[in-house]
Amino acid sequence: MGRLARGDREALGPLMERHYRRLYRLALSYLRDPDDALDAVQEIFVKAYQGAARWDGGSEVGPWLTRIAVNHSIDRYRRGRRRLATETPLDEGEGETDPRMSAETPSPERRVLGREVGERIASALRSLPDRQRAVFVLRHYEEMALEDIARALDMSLGTVKSSLHRAVHRMRERLEALR
Amino acid sequence: MSPLFHRRRAQRTSLLALGALSGDEAAAARDHAETCTACAADLARLRRTLELAALEPVRQAEPPLGVPALLARVNAKLDEAASPTSRFPRRAAWLVPAGALAAGLAAFLMLRPSISTPPTAAPVLVAERSVAVSDEMLGRMERTVTREQTARYLDEAQDLLLTVTAPRPCARQTRRVDVEQEAERSRELLARRAMLVGTGGDDVLSVRPVLRDVEYVLREVASLPSCARERDLQAIQREVSRRNLLMKIDLMTRELKG
Repeated sequence: MGRLARGDREALGPLMERHYRRLYRLALSYLRDPDDALDAVQEIFVKAYQGAARWDGGSEVGPWLTRIAVNHSIDRYRRGRRRLATETPLDEGEGETDPRMSAETPSPERRVLGREVGERIASALRSLPDRQRAVFVLRHYEEMALEDIARALDMSLGTVKSSLHRAVHRMRERLEALR
Repeated sequence: MSPLFHRRRAQRTSLLALGALSGDEAAAARDHAETCTACAADLARLRRTLELAALEPVRQAEPPLGVPALLARVNAKLDEAASPTSRFPRRAAWLVPAGALAAGLAAFLMLRPSISTPPTAAPVLVAERSVAVSDEMLGRMERTVTREQTARYLDEAQDLLLTVTAPRPCARQTRRVDVEQEAERSRELLARRAMLVGTGGDDVLSVRPVLRDVEYVLREVASLPSCARERDLQAIQREVSRRNLLMKIDLMTRELKG
């Protein structure tokens, strides 16, 4: 990060190697579209490079990048939602989940079941307020410590705990029908 | 039991289910759940919810691009932003000489010997106006370039998909088809796709589902061995026809070309 703060672009590569996948999944959990998520990650690293000089040398890079990623994904998600409210998109492949959303190639039956479950989970996640969703994704999917989540999202530990509690209960209400 | 006490207990149960409590806190919450039927039931339900939520496909999703391709994109963006004329994107750099020409013309108009009227501020205004127009024009240019590049990419991808439908027998292995060139060409096209900039913009929004489908099929072709099994190729052909991909590419390239 020190090299990046001095404007050394060579330092971007190792930083990407370490955080790219994690940030991509984080963006994807908001945007639900691989192209959108990829564009978002690209912007996140551009912002990280441009803002590296403002990085507090004593803090960890991971939470700092996570904060940029969450804020950027929320902004992009809101912009997309506004756009969708005024436009009707073309056929998105008969409502199928993008194959790149899954790393494996399951059987047709499993694919149908997985698609249904995936859509329900996505819809439950979408029902969470932006910050609650960030807290839930960072804890349950990224397995981040609560203290790191608090640092990354600039929240108090108490707020992180209460957000998680609300998020998991709302998810339960939404997913109950699947069981 | 006060409502505040109950809320704290409920919150602790949620955090326990999420594995977010450690040491003494976790032990205390577990001990409590053993003596409180309602809390134990709550814990079990939350755990089932979390197991279900863990099936979210995003958790296993792999980025469609490798680090080198993403790095190239990020560097391109940074170059664009670092350019002294950052309002004029790098892609339209040819307009900078045009701007210089306009400025030179303005300077010439200002400095040339006066014939009938003395020089006024008007030429400067002309130059300023030409810069403003260029800015707008650049935006249009950029969109046009994106559309043209995307159309070309789709055209070439369509050619490739048509070739794949009529493969040659493999000379080295019986009952296999030779797709070495097609796989290689797919990899090249995928690299081109990675470098296509601006396809996240609103302008080409309608083409994105087709780009996604094409990319998916190209990946399948790119992953084939040089002597592939016929049934693997047939599966790809079926996918192309199920997605009506050739027709969609036709429609989209026509739309992109205006």
